[in-house]
Amino acid sequence: MRRQAGEADRERSRAGEADRERSRAGEADRERSRAGEPDRDRGRAGATVGFWRALRREPRRLAAMGLWSVLEAAPAFLIGHAVARAIEDGFARAEPVTGLAWLAALGVAWLVAAVAARQVVLCVAAVAEPFRDDLLAHVVEGTLRQGDRRDSAAVARATLQVELARDAFAAVVTTVRGFAFTVVSVVLGLVTLAPQALALVLPPFAAGLALFLASLPALARRQRTFLLADERLADAMTAMTGGLRDIEACGLQDRAYERLDRQVGDQAAAARSLAGVTAARTAALAVGGWLPVVLVLAGTPWLLDGGLGAGVIVGTLAYVTQSLAPALGGLVQGLGVSGVRLAATLRRIAASAPPTPQRRPSLRPPSCDVRLASVTFAYGPHSAPVLDGLDLVIPEGDHLAVVGPSGAGKSTLAALVSGLLRPAEGEVLVGGVPADRLDPAARVLIPQEAYVFRGTLAENLAYPQPPAGLKERLDEAVAAVGVRELVDALGGYEAPLDPAALSAGQRQLVALVRAYLAPARLVILDEATCHLDPAAEARAESAFARRGGTLIVVAHRLTSALRARRILLMDGTRVTVGTHDELTRVSPLYADLAGHWHPEPVS
Amino acid sequence: MLAGDRLVIGAVRRSGPWPAVLAVTAVVGAAGELAIPYLVGRTVDAFVTRQPDGTPWLALSAGAVAAVVAGESLGVWARGAGGAYAAATLRRAVLRHVLGAGTAATRRFPGGELVTRAGLNAEEVGRAPETVTGALALLVPTVGALIALTLIAPVLTLTLGAGIVVILLVLRAFLRASTVISGGYQQVQGEIAARLVDAMEGARTIAAAGTAAQEARRVLAPLPRLRAHGMSLWRANAGAAVQSGLVVPLLEVAVLIAGGFMLASGRLTVGELYAAARYAVLGASLSTSLGFVGGLARARAAAERVAEIFGLTPVAHGTRTLPPGPGTVEFRDVAVDGLTVGDLTLPGGSVTAVVGRSGSGKSLLAALAGRLADPGRGAVLLDGVPLRELSREELRRAIGYAFERPVLVGETVSEAIAPEAGEAVSQAIAPEPGEALSQAIAGGRGEAAPVVEAARAACADAFVRRLPLGYGTPLRDAPMSGGERQRLGLARAFAQGERLLVLDDATSSLDTVTEQQVSRALTTDRRARTRLIAAHRPATAARADQVVWLDNGAVRARGPHDVLWQDPAYRAVFQGTEP
Repeated sequence: MRRQAGEADRERSRAGEADRERSRAGEADRERSRAGEPDRDRGRAGATVGFWRALRREPRRLAAMGLWSVLEAAPAFLIGHAVARAIEDGFARAEPVTGLAWLAALGVAWLVAAVAARQVVLCVAAVAEPFRDDLLAHVVEGTLRQGDRRDSAAVARATLQVELARDAFAAVVTTVRGFAFTVVSVVLGLVTLAPQALALVLPPFAAGLALFLASLPALARRQRTFLLADERLADAMTAMTGGLRDIEACGLQDRAYERLDRQVGDQAAAARSLAGVTAARTAALAVGGWLPVVLVLAGTPWLLDGGLGAGVIVGTLAYVTQSLAPALGGLVQGLGVSGVRLAATLRRIAASAPPTPQRRPSLRPPSCDVRLASVTFAYGPHSAPVLDGLDLVIPEGDHLAVVGPSGAGKSTLAALVSGLLRPAEGEVLVGGVPADRLDPAARVLIPQEAYVFRGTLAENLAYPQPPAGLKERLDEAVAAVGVRELVDALGGYEAPLDPAALSAGQRQLVALVRAYLAPARLVILDEATCHLDPAAEARAESAFARRGGTLIVVAHRLTSALRARRILLMDGTRVTVGTHDELTRVSPLYADLAGHWHPEPVS
Repeated sequence: MLAGDRLVIGAVRRSGPWPAVLAVTAVVGAAGELAIPYLVGRTVDAFVTRQPDGTPWLALSAGAVAAVVAGESLGVWARGAGGAYAAATLRRAVLRHVLGAGTAATRRFPGGELVTRAGLNAEEVGRAPETVTGALALLVPTVGALIALTLIAPVLTLTLGAGIVVILLVLRAFLRASTVISGGYQQVQGEIAARLVDAMEGARTIAAAGTAAQEARRVLAPLPRLRAHGMSLWRANAGAAVQSGLVVPLLEVAVLIAGGFMLASGRLTVGELYAAARYAVLGASLSTSLGFVGGLARARAAAERVAEIFGLTPVAHGTRTLPPGPGTVEFRDVAVDGLTVGDLTLPGGSVTAVVGRSGSGKSLLAALAGRLADPGRGAVLLDGVPLRELSREELRRAIGYAFERPVLVGETVSEAIAPEAGEAVSQAIAPEPGEALSQAIAGGRGEAAPVVEAARAACADAFVRRLPLGYGTPLRDAPMSGGERQRLGLARAFAQGERLLVLDDATSSLDTVTEQQVSRALTTDRRARTRLIAAHRPATAARADQVVWLDNGAVRARGPHDVLWQDPAYRAVFQGTEP
């Protein structure tokens, strides 16, 4: 089983010589979208806006949350009064029934608060779940727009980030809200129970709160630094274990260790500096939570002189120790841990998915001839150009095969003609329209790695837009491309497809039928048949040749070139066009290729 | 004692003053926390009854509060800093050990497993001192609170005990329910991820069709189900939180009521009532502190897993250097688990092809030739010196390896080819290549010479030059196909090995034309190094001076390809593989 998977991999990479060009095509896309983006913090702003939008989107939920919060905070208001009155009016006066009544009232308030707490959680959930949906949509769209730059592990990480963000979001909303309502309740309680005590409680509490809020930015910064250092360390360790054989074979142990040692040191330093700021945060909590207790105690003689009873003192202490301190602790935890995490993950999510590039309106061409006029393209400022001043005319209805050694720029040419890349110089026109502004429906590109998604076969064939009269044409297309057997084996058009269960060749067949059905009059097959056996490839290509319109085939085997009307030979930046016989005569490289590129049996 | 426990103790010992600081802060904090309710109660009583000795109680209360605050702050700092130090120390040792053990480590543990052990598990072991003191810091006040409460009135403790049992039961019920629900949640999550991976496979198709938004909707189709599962998870969560959140306040009310009656009958002062209520709350958090004890079990388990890595034997190297020689490789009576080689000589400067079906031992033979594996019996010699006796540097300078799937090490492309020369090249290139160096690279002269020469021989020069920064392109910005990576891997071997090149299926991803060019460079190596090539294609075997035919973990035959080719069984080896 494992061996088979390995061989499939190998086969994929063997056939995938042009992968690099494709990946770089994706990179150039990114480059382009970045250029159109005025400031790099836009993504970040977008994510914080997402936070407020999630809160504002459901005002009724928010109102309900507020109402339930009032009930939830009722014990925070009642506790001081209940304790004070139970002692003063009840137990201290040997009237236990009165005391019992007050405490019973407190117990009932707790019961009500518990029910309210449940409702609050549900309200928060009702806000947090749509927030998660937003983030997930953002990640998915961003990933799809960035295309093949990312691997499935990156996807797993991104979904994990979304979950973290959701939990952190819920925690922040819950704790900040709980804190606000509790503080208001306690202040109201103190005002009505022992207004003098406010002067002893509020100043240190406010000082602690201010201290904490002041330490928050530093905390967030260090937390982020730590997360990044930790991630870099994990990446470095993953790279090391993945390359252990190569490190040993090249005797690079010391170099590898040096690099890891640096990362380990960075991560530990970040953790230390985070611990320092966390300690400061704990101190703030102590000032806000404990100092009021000491002050109330110290002020007890003064409060007693002011006519307050012992029960009121205990009630005041209950306010501080039972309500205020835990609420502050909750806030510190909620903002200091979850809030910081939320900010970090939101920033990460925003950065992972660039905002949608603005699409200019696409144009429908009157014809489908392709013209390249002195097209130059390079993947970077310091890299050798892949195409250098290429002039090429492909008249409507032509059948052109593109051949050349791997890395000669065949896939780059396909990407330029399909508008996935823009030339640095010169222009690529399809029917007179710049290729990157062409209506996507006017052309179809089938790359080597066919796209098949979970859905029925019919749905897959109707992608991206169901062409007119699809049902009637299905059988004809399937017969023409030679896929009848596969369709029957899969169980007909309505059978659900599992992409993972199909072989690479079967996926290519599905993509070929789809392209055959599409209304596009320009078809570009970029090694789209590399996983088929030569006979199946021949049948599919002939079907496209008969289909009409302009056909460009980036050849995987030389036999593809033999079927074409004209052949474009790419070798470095030298480009030659001609028929098979012409090229065999004039190009030693072509003769060499023709000599070696025997049709290979596909295992 | 278990190896893991020894590791934990070692980690504690090597953490410098931190564990001591932690222990002191934990004890001081716990004592303070336990004393506060009592002292506060006494202060209130003293002031209420207008006793003259109220102020000392107040001072003691303030002192206890200060102790708690200082203990907590210092403790948090010590936990973070000490944990980081211990984890980093342990992690360095683990990484050094893994590097020393080499491929033996990956044979024993999958790569991800090694990362987890060196990363997460080392972190957990680093936290062992913190976990111990943390458990102490929680357990002491909770247990102490229960004792204090008992001293005030045993009835109150009984009430509390019953309440705690209720909390534990509720939590257990919650855990059971949420596992089922979160299973459903994760399943839908997995479904979305799988759809996304499908769509990523078709990234180019989607880009060409301009349907990213449409495909995003398709990927997100299961979202409503995810939300439904999420909401039921929240509901279970909310329900349990309510139940457990109710117990503590209700306990407190119960204690207050019982205490209130005792106050009314004069058996309790107001201050004692306050203290009793606080102790009830403190004592109720016993279940949380029990959770911390679980943390210690986790640290021990983690330590056990890290200790297993230290069980790997590192590769021992000798100190000898090589005498001058052509690079003759001799296998003397060599056997290893899964392959018997016996005696075999690769004459200096010759090309030897190793052929055989998958699993016949080709890679193992290649590994033995350059000491990526040690034979169980016999010895492998290079120019008369057993490989085991060579120093690591000498060994690696003499032998270059290329693999089917090479992993490129280094920051840039040129470093991946030749670490030392490459570093100089990439430093000179970034951010703007100097004119002189650009010319040196273009012409393959100066410090760039070995890099460019090796890349040319491996047919990698042309595609490297098309990368965004040419030879200075960072590897992570240079997405490469399997064939391109193979060519860089070949270039690396060419640049490194002075006497012997071992190519383990190293040209399998190259197209026919490129493969032929590489083979030509190999067979006409102008430095006349000895070459050992494990290969699938008959053409490679045909060009070799001798062929070693492996079958079922043993050498079946040796000789020139055209002689062996007479044997149908030999020809069958190449069937089913590409020509």
